[in-house]
Amino acid sequence: MSASQSAVRSRAEAVKVSRTFDWLILFTLFFVVLGGYHIHYMLTGGDWDFWTDWKDRRLWVTVAPIVSITFPAAVQACLWYRYRLPYGAVVCVLGLLLGEWINRYFNFWGWTYFPVSICFPSQLIPGAIVLDAILMLSGSMTMTAVVGGLAWGLLFYPSNWPCIAPLHVPVEWNGMMMTLADLQGYHYVRTGTPEYIRMVEKGTLRTFGKDVAPVSAFFSGFVSIIIYFLWHFFGRWFASTAFVSGEKV
Amino acid sequence: MKLLKDKVAKLSFVALLAATSASVLYTPTAAAHGEKSQAAFMRMRTIHWFDLNWSKDTVPVNDTMTLSGKAMVFTGWPESVDKPDVAFLNIGIPGPVYIRAGSWIGGQLVPRSVALELGETYEFKVLLKARRPGDWHVHPMMSVKGGGPIIGPGKWTTITGSMRDFVDPVTTLTGDTINLETYNIDNVYFWHALWFAIGLAWMFYWIRRPQFVPRSIAVESGKANTLITATDRKVAMAFTAGTIAMVAITMQQANDKYPITTPLQAGVLRNIKPFQMPATTVSVKVEDATYRVPGRAMQMTLKVTNNGDTAVRLGEFTTASVRFLDPNVLEDTTGYPDDLLAEEGLTVSDNSPLAPGQTRTINVTASDAAWEVYRLADLIYDPDSRFAGLLFFYDAAGKRQLVTVDAPLIPVFI
Repeated sequence: MSASQSAVRSRAEAVKVSRTFDWLILFTLFFVVLGGYHIHYMLTGGDWDFWTDWKDRRLWVTVAPIVSITFPAAVQACLWYRYRLPYGAVVCVLGLLLGEWINRYFNFWGWTYFPVSICFPSQLIPGAIVLDAILMLSGSMTMTAVVGGLAWGLLFYPSNWPCIAPLHVPVEWNGMMMTLADLQGYHYVRTGTPEYIRMVEKGTLRTFGKDVAPVSAFFSGFVSIIIYFLWHFFGRWFASTAFVSGEKV
Repeated sequence: MKLLKDKVAKLSFVALLAATSASVLYTPTAAAHGEKSQAAFMRMRTIHWFDLNWSKDTVPVNDTMTLSGKAMVFTGWPESVDKPDVAFLNIGIPGPVYIRAGSWIGGQLVPRSVALELGETYEFKVLLKARRPGDWHVHPMMSVKGGGPIIGPGKWTTITGSMRDFVDPVTTLTGDTINLETYNIDNVYFWHALWFAIGLAWMFYWIRRPQFVPRSIAVESGKANTLITATDRKVAMAFTAGTIAMVAITMQQANDKYPITTPLQAGVLRNIKPFQMPATTVSVKVEDATYRVPGRAMQMTLKVTNNGDTAVRLGEFTTASVRFLDPNVLEDTTGYPDDLLAEEGLTVSDNSPLAPGQTRTINVTASDAAWEVYRLADLIYDPDSRFAGLLFFYDAAGKRQLVTVDAPLIPVFI
């Protein structure tokens, strides 16, 4: 077979090769994103995502969506503009959550014996579905950033509430009131994570009384819009192909 | 090419052999908490731990033990370490092999960080409930914001039984009694599995059709709009509406099920009550201090004045959790960790009772392998070469007086 001849001899064979190529790319994409996104999220979201006694109504709500919209925006940029595939955000979040669950189950529980109920990851899938669907329906980066980014921030807290509400039930312990999440953090000793490292309930949102979570979520949504733009352009740049003429090679 | 292949094969075999040897042939238990690695001046001049007591050596699962003692926040706190304005009484154990059922400083529960004052001594207690069987090294630890963990002496304890039997019952303020060890786990698994399945459904809707090559060709040839059908739009709208509705409904359900919830609790606890140490009537002035590197011994020349009404003798010098005792004066009966106890490590040139009103200059030598084992000798390489510690004087009735010392240290290399 010469270099100019095709590797496939029929349309059926071409389709088969194309599908094989699809699975290869999808498999690779999934695990590359899993690794990169997981490291990024551990470095930027870190303890807010690790521990239930960090999942508060101010900072966790603000920080987690902002630092997690990054990879979905970049992968969306690549998959949508080059292939019109609207699952960039979902594939990222599925990868992230699979990686996180492997880490939490085998490392946090299997090696260091923290119950899964203190170290489960944050829920991001609802926001990812909405982000992908808005991109598909609008076909617009601006619309996805503004509406989708805001929705990403707003959906975060209510998506997680069914998992964390049971841990915000109050308890009296030796004369002090705390939540069950606080008690988990106190009971399950973290030698390298003293209490003062915990960044919760800090800030000046006192005007809104106890209802600070919606305000934090709105703020998070606004910043997520900006971060979406930024990472979307990273994605476009990363997915661009530059052709150079043979003479320059 | 063959040569290259052979080389790769050889190197791979060596790497495999090394990895196997490292992981299989020698796998000691990693049990230390880095206490020996911490700079000697930090251990000598920040928190002095004393009167420590581990209530049990062997603890069955679900049973409790108490670690109690005193922590003196040293007046000569080093400049390079942040002051303990925000500190947390912690426990040095390898993960939650015990749970911390309670911790108190000066009688106050301290689940949160506290503010400590230089020069004060604090009485503390930590109640530990056994959870995971094994032999575990248990240390008191004061984590200081900006200073890091300041670890106290560790003692081996054994937990017996099975972790499967461990329970952590808690009664909430809404009247429910739960087992915190397993509480909420099924709920978390359920919601994560459900949303994961919904996310996979969205993915499968798209990946069941040809993906990259044909779609890329279509986009490149200006037919991108043909790739999204009317059905796709309807499915996307259904997913969006369904997701938003499900989030709203499940949040409401959670609110209905748990109508009383409170925010996480945080904040520094201040006004911690210090322990009132008995007034000291012995005064000590350090005339000079040297560390003899070859002999692993520290020598001090002390000018001691007894201003009290009973004669006293020097029984102990403690620094960085290592206790040097004069066996003629003091014998340890507390079960203090052997590796940190130099039972005959303190030699005093004249340790006859110092009568009231009398002043005497004595040469004190604290020698033991612990200087090397616990890397205290590294003090001579610190930027601020000073030593500090506690001296304990005893009268004939066993009444104790504590005096702190803090002075420059000169190394002797020959």
